[in-house]
Amino acid sequence: MAHLRESAEKALKMLRTLPRVQLSNIRPNPNSKKNTKRGRAQHSGDKHGAGNKGSGQRQNYMRLGYETGNNPFYLRFPYEPYYKGHHLRRQYPPISLLQLQVLLDTNRIDSKQPIDITTLCNSGLLRLQPASMEYGFQLTDEGIDRFKAKICIEVQHAKESVIAAIERNGGVIRTAYYDPRSLQAMVNPSKWFEKGVPIPKRLLPPQDAVEYYTSAKNRGYLADPEEISKERLVLAQKYGYELPRIEDDPDYEMLISQKDARQIFYGLEPGWVIGLKDKLIIKSKSLPEEQANREEKS
Amino acid sequence: MNKICCSFISVLRYASTEKAYTSSVVLGRRLSFKSDLSLDKIYPNSRLKLFTPPPPQSTPEKFSGYIPINQLEITYSRSSGPGGQHVNCVNTKVDLRFKLAGADWIPEKTRQKLLQGLQNKLTKDGYFVIKSDMTRSQQLNLADALEKLRKLIREYEVEKAAPTEETLEKLRRRHERAARDRLLVKRQRSLTKSSRQGPNITDL
Repeated sequence: MAHLRESAEKALKMLRTLPRVQLSNIRPNPNSKKNTKRGRAQHSGDKHGAGNKGSGQRQNYMRLGYETGNNPFYLRFPYEPYYKGHHLRRQYPPISLLQLQVLLDTNRIDSKQPIDITTLCNSGLLRLQPASMEYGFQLTDEGIDRFKAKICIEVQHAKESVIAAIERNGGVIRTAYYDPRSLQAMVNPSKWFEKGVPIPKRLLPPQDAVEYYTSAKNRGYLADPEEISKERLVLAQKYGYELPRIEDDPDYEMLISQKDARQIFYGLEPGWVIGLKDKLIIKSKSLPEEQANREEKS
Repeated sequence: MNKICCSFISVLRYASTEKAYTSSVVLGRRLSFKSDLSLDKIYPNSRLKLFTPPPPQSTPEKFSGYIPINQLEITYSRSSGPGGQHVNCVNTKVDLRFKLAGADWIPEKTRQKLLQGLQNKLTKDGYFVIKSDMTRSQQLNLADALEKLRKLIREYEVEKAAPTEETLEKLRRRHERAARDRLLVKRQRSLTKSSRQGPNITDL
């Protein structure tokens, strides 16, 4: 700070003694003016920087990568093992916590309702393309220090620190798998309902994803809720915050609401046909297995 | 058909007053959809609702690892080092302090050992301070500080075994040998120095 004051005083001293700024004592910024002189005579003239004969002087250059006849580097390797199956890999477009906070603050998303893919796509600001191997959203940790919202959110992947950030504010985060057909229905429900097709059953995750979605550490939808409660405490101790008592929360019912593993939409069962135009729900006549599935909530 | 329509219209009437995430209301009864993969079928013995479990208690012999965050004083400040705008503007450094004598969440025995071992490191008011600015993120730095604290407590908790007779014997022989070598070198040096002196009348 002292040297800043000194240099400022020095500058002011100079300003008092120097002559006023005139056209005769200023110059343009370095490299702002290019020399418009044409190349003539000894230095830029004669061959004009193009050398002697050959493709260089004749402006008939070899193509980029050509190695004068031998097998060029860019053609030597017909494939590389590192990208094998890249077109088949599952992709999870990211949503940062910062984006989420902005969406909640600007009332694009209601924090008093559970948030899932349909909520996020209905906001109009986030898009998912299931046809391009996008299997859902992942929550990233950008803006983690500023996140302050209590929400019940369901994504497809989240880092440990992100899970901690959401639980620290008293919220609940779960990771769930949706197969591409279910995703298509979720991303644009009204368009799907126009087809008149019954709501499909959500399929189980593929082999390599089962471990992720059944583990309590990742808050998987197929994990034991008791284990998840324990992991919540573990994470609170790791990241250094007091775990808020979720049972004492007035929004407890909303926070613990979770879809069934076969369900795609909240409140709608697989097998129902939704008629938006006539505002109808058409269900098939109860089969014994479906009746057994419906249990009375005590 | 009429009967079905009526029941569905009543569904919608009830459904409009209920929130979207709750179960469908049919004929006044609340039902919830449970498929073949519902959680109560996969985990029949589990409490299916989230709850807050009580924290594990530390026994007098063993520290459970649970630290009551309320009893720690945590402050944040800017970190040092390179990093441009991020390091200049964001409070990523974590300062964690607590009164070691009054920390009843540490078992008594370990607490006494800590007081003895860290007595030169405590502040005037008896606070023990841990700082961390390892990462770019405040949360991760706090996690690092807590991990350091736990590691320290566990280190002091472990009772170091007394050295065996064999080890003591080994150490004694080592010391002895070192002394012997040192004296040998000293004597040799003395001999060299004395041979540089001229002869005395008594040497002849």
